[in-house]
Amino acid sequence: MEVREGRQLTLMLAPYVLGLVALILVPAVVTVALSVTEYDLIQPARWVGLANFRALAGDEIFRIALLNSVVFALVAAPLRLLAALALTLLLHRRVRGVGSARAAAVLPTVVPDVAYGLLWLWLFNPLYGPVNLLLRLGGEGGLTVFGRTPPQWLTSPYDARAAIVLMSLFTIGEGFVLLLVTRLGLPGELYELAAMEDATGWDVFRRITLPLMAPVAVLLLLRDTILSLQLNFVPALIVTDGGPPPYATTYLPLFVYRTGFEYLRYGYAAAATLLMLALTAGLLLAQWVVLRRWRRGLGG
Amino acid sequence: MSALRLRGVGKDFGTVAALRGLDLDIVDGELLAVLGPSGSGKSTLLRVIAGLDPVSGGSVHIGDREVTRLPPGRRNVSMVFQTYALFPHLTVLENVSFGLEVRDVPRGAAREKATAAAGLVGCGHLLGRRPAQLSGGERQRVALARAIVREPDVFLLDEPLSNLDAELRVQMRAELAGLHRSVRTTMVYVTHDQTEALVLGDRIAVLRAGSLEQVGTPDELWSAPANRFVARFVGTPAMNLLPADGPLRLDGLPAGRPLEIGVRPDALRISVEPTGAVPGQVTLVERVGADAHVHIRLDRHDLIARVPADDRPQVGERVTVDVRRQDVHLFDAATGRRLPWR
Repeated sequence: MEVREGRQLTLMLAPYVLGLVALILVPAVVTVALSVTEYDLIQPARWVGLANFRALAGDEIFRIALLNSVVFALVAAPLRLLAALALTLLLHRRVRGVGSARAAAVLPTVVPDVAYGLLWLWLFNPLYGPVNLLLRLGGEGGLTVFGRTPPQWLTSPYDARAAIVLMSLFTIGEGFVLLLVTRLGLPGELYELAAMEDATGWDVFRRITLPLMAPVAVLLLLRDTILSLQLNFVPALIVTDGGPPPYATTYLPLFVYRTGFEYLRYGYAAAATLLMLALTAGLLLAQWVVLRRWRRGLGG
Repeated sequence: MSALRLRGVGKDFGTVAALRGLDLDIVDGELLAVLGPSGSGKSTLLRVIAGLDPVSGGSVHIGDREVTRLPPGRRNVSMVFQTYALFPHLTVLENVSFGLEVRDVPRGAAREKATAAAGLVGCGHLLGRRPAQLSGGERQRVALARAIVREPDVFLLDEPLSNLDAELRVQMRAELAGLHRSVRTTMVYVTHDQTEALVLGDRIAVLRAGSLEQVGTPDELWSAPANRFVARFVGTPAMNLLPADGPLRLDGLPAGRPLEIGVRPDALRISVEPTGAVPGQVTLVERVGADAHVHIRLDRHDLIARVPADDRPQVGERVTVDVRRQDVHLFDAATGRRLPWR
């Protein structure tokens, strides 16, 4: 009986294990192996030891990409969580039209990345893009109502980085669904009790909703940080092309892509990938330490 | 402490009427038990008093204030939910002081009062624990402490003992009675358990399908049920009902309409000796502790008698059934209403 169950289990796990090995494990091993070589698809790979890593340490473009990525993750992940939380609080009640609103909140997440990028390229257009048209409403001479020049989304370094963050704030469908389900799972009686105690909306949020949703929100934040280091690849490639020049929106994924597939420096790209992995692990560890301290404080 | 007055209170959910024009007066300091089967509107009544559900018609008064349109937090009532509704992330002390702290009572004073309230209901030693670390009975006490700490005008309890095991239920029932005696706050206690209602209630309101069937003291409900429903609903086993022209004949009944007579199981006297009374056959005997419930088939009618277990007859035995005149309740067969008699 046990032998048969074991075989069944093996059979059922096999596709997943095969995929894991072929798509994750083998590439990972190859990446580690490549990182200590020089390889360009034409010549045979040449052992260089840690030279790639040493070169990366002195590579200014890599340093810019690293900084861009860290800043993006630190800004985008919390903002994405806040946006998902705000949508959850707005849309958890059963009112007319809430179903359509929830669907609308999830929709941008299921749009293919490239189509989503092309759409924003139009939205951000400085001349006829709806975003700046909106910002110029009520202003004179192409300025905003406050007399300022509207953001130059695609040509100014800071505005372009903001544009990439802004784009990421609409693809929060998964986080929103997760938080919505969590909120809907909280017992209604707790809220009725709070109503009978005349608790204000702020009190209810601070003392009930937030602490009860915190475990899920924290999990989401950790997961979103990992995601943030990768999800800006398509926008940076399609909308800003890594610029404005020289490298305002060149993030690590784009750096790795260009190094490997455009300059054919696979060894160098593999070394950068490993450093990106280390960076992800480092960010997660830092968050974990901070959050654990915060939760301990919350627990009194 | 305040009296509670309902006038014509109705509550509709869509096309379903959960409460139909209730008039109810609860005097200051009284414990009113609201008794009824599932779906009779008991919990809705409580939620309407609390303000958690708005009324569809009528008015609610607490003391000399009309509170019909006030939000729950402005009514100064507190409630113990069936599931206790304790905040899982807060300690017992924080749970009990929650209502005071959100009302801007300084933390020190709030915690002092919370500690005193917890002590009053016997959970003073649990202050540092969280709900997950408490037993059912302990959670119940915390919910009670939280309800009394604010000294509300009216105290609402929604089947608070239904999640406890039988032994604890009896113990908590006695403690609740003691608590009511000591705080003397007006209480509305919803239950489907007639024993709880009979033991705890100064008066009992019997609710069926959103209407009040009877409001009276436990004695009144027992000795003079207003109608057939109350007669059958209060008492275990339920009162026996027979047509007046059935096997048990009585002299001097009012004439002119079809009648039913009701006899409680403990008022039926059965005997295996042949007497002048009506003969029947025992179909089932259930021993329940010191008593036995004897099911008797009597001329196409089924009756239940409660007798001391030691005197119980055997299944299949022929017995005679008799009843004393003063133990008989009389109902109008058409309307179900109680008729004066004796």
